[in-house]
Amino acid sequence: MSFFYSNWWLLPLIITIFTGILCPAMGTVLITHKRLLQVNLISHCVLPGLALALALGVHPSIGGVISGLTGAIVAESLTNKKSENYEAVMNTILAGMLGLGVLIIPILGIRIDLEAVLFGDLLTANFGDLIRTLIAFLMFTCLITFGYEKIIYVGLDQEGASASGINVSILNLALSFTTALVIVSSMSAVGVILVIALLSTPTLLGVRKAPSLRIAMIRSSSYGLLISIIGFTISMIFNLSPGPAISVICVISLIFIKGENDN
Amino acid sequence: MQTLNAKNLTYSYSKKTQPAISKVSLEIKPGTLTALVGPNGAGKSTLLRLMQGQGAPDKGEITIDGEKLLKVRNKVALMPQRSSMNWKFPITVERLVALGQIKKSRFRKDSPFQIKELISNPKTWINKCCEVEAAMQRVGISNLAKRRLDSLSGGQQQRALLAKTLMSPSKFFLLDEPCSALDPPARDEFLKIIRQIADAGMAVFISSHDWGSSLNAYDKVVVLDKTVIAIGTPKEVQNKLDDICCLKEKNLCDCD
Repeated sequence: MSFFYSNWWLLPLIITIFTGILCPAMGTVLITHKRLLQVNLISHCVLPGLALALALGVHPSIGGVISGLTGAIVAESLTNKKSENYEAVMNTILAGMLGLGVLIIPILGIRIDLEAVLFGDLLTANFGDLIRTLIAFLMFTCLITFGYEKIIYVGLDQEGASASGINVSILNLALSFTTALVIVSSMSAVGVILVIALLSTPTLLGVRKAPSLRIAMIRSSSYGLLISIIGFTISMIFNLSPGPAISVICVISLIFIKGENDN
Repeated sequence: MQTLNAKNLTYSYSKKTQPAISKVSLEIKPGTLTALVGPNGAGKSTLLRLMQGQGAPDKGEITIDGEKLLKVRNKVALMPQRSSMNWKFPITVERLVALGQIKKSRFRKDSPFQIKELISNPKTWINKCCEVEAAMQRVGISNLAKRRLDSLSGGQQQRALLAKTLMSPSKFFLLDEPCSALDPPARDEFLKIIRQIADAGMAVFISSHDWGSSLNAYDKVVVLDKTVIAIGTPKEVQNKLDDICCLKEKNLCDCD
């Protein structure tokens, strides 16, 4: 343990590495399933749960996951992807849940470093953050190991998958739960709002021309790892906040996508 | 010979709305190629879904050789409409076709091409590979096996989807508007393939927007507009249509 205290940068680096691998892999599944708007929704929905959990003396991560999942379930019960009101309903719930979080923090009289939650504070990361990231990593690995075929089928043809006996609702719920877990786990690295960049940008790079979901995930994770380490290094050198630095690197890497598309 | 029978089917999506289909009765026999035609909103997709066991009719029943459809759902396979597919999904043609092996069972444990299956039962694994190859050969896409789905033309994509549907152990194949996005040569090629499938003893039932002489490619034609308006050989149906004003209004027939 004392080794980590003397090398203060090591724990944030390990969390950066795991987050850099995990978020793009999860993002690949979500983008290929056309569920990226749901990620945005969940990431905004975790705040009321975090606040309530702190007020009740429960670990904030548990509250965040429950709250994010609740937002996703409420959204799915009110609308679906085929509905013309889908985006409007999703964005309303997203804004409403974030607003609720901001409202209840002073009402409950709790102290939350809102900036750290929303935009990350990697340099103050502790072992709890690492364990949280590892739990999310484990959950995602289980989902992929035991549900890979089902994830492919549902992503490709939801109706056909349902007709083949796959319980699409349960699979979607498992995806939402894992997404909430990944978002909460990345809180210390990039924050619940900036995580969207790490979930989507490496995926855009990795999914192109990939012959399978598995290869797309591996490529996305590789790009994600590279982006995260570059962002982390720049933030160390210039004494910047790592979360926003990683997000800016994500935007810059979009140039490569555009360059390749032009070719 | 197994026969699929639909008797007096009525189905509404909600109690407040008019039935999507009403009192529909028809029979499908193996070895026949049947076209289901009708205007948009006629209930073609609804009928196909019911015939595949996705939902139960409000009235009437569907049986295969006297057995209720819900007990023998795996005897019917549905090829969905193009619009229900996510064509951008990162998957190769052979992998898509292999997905057709997933059985219609709630208690299914196996899935195509798992490494543990290769180790425990290599013969079954190899058989599965052969089945995939055979299905691709049947629709003429063996050379596209390693290609990504979104790199194919519309006609090739439809053939890949057909190969996936053919992987099912079913005898009855329901195809929901498979030719809707195809140009005439691709459509003719597709119809040639499904004719071969029907000639091999399968029942192929296709919903279509085709009309006029193109219906001569089918053994039987069912005209649907909420209810069955005409049924019979293409010639019989063409003759009957002279008396059907509602279809003329919807510009569906070329009998003027």
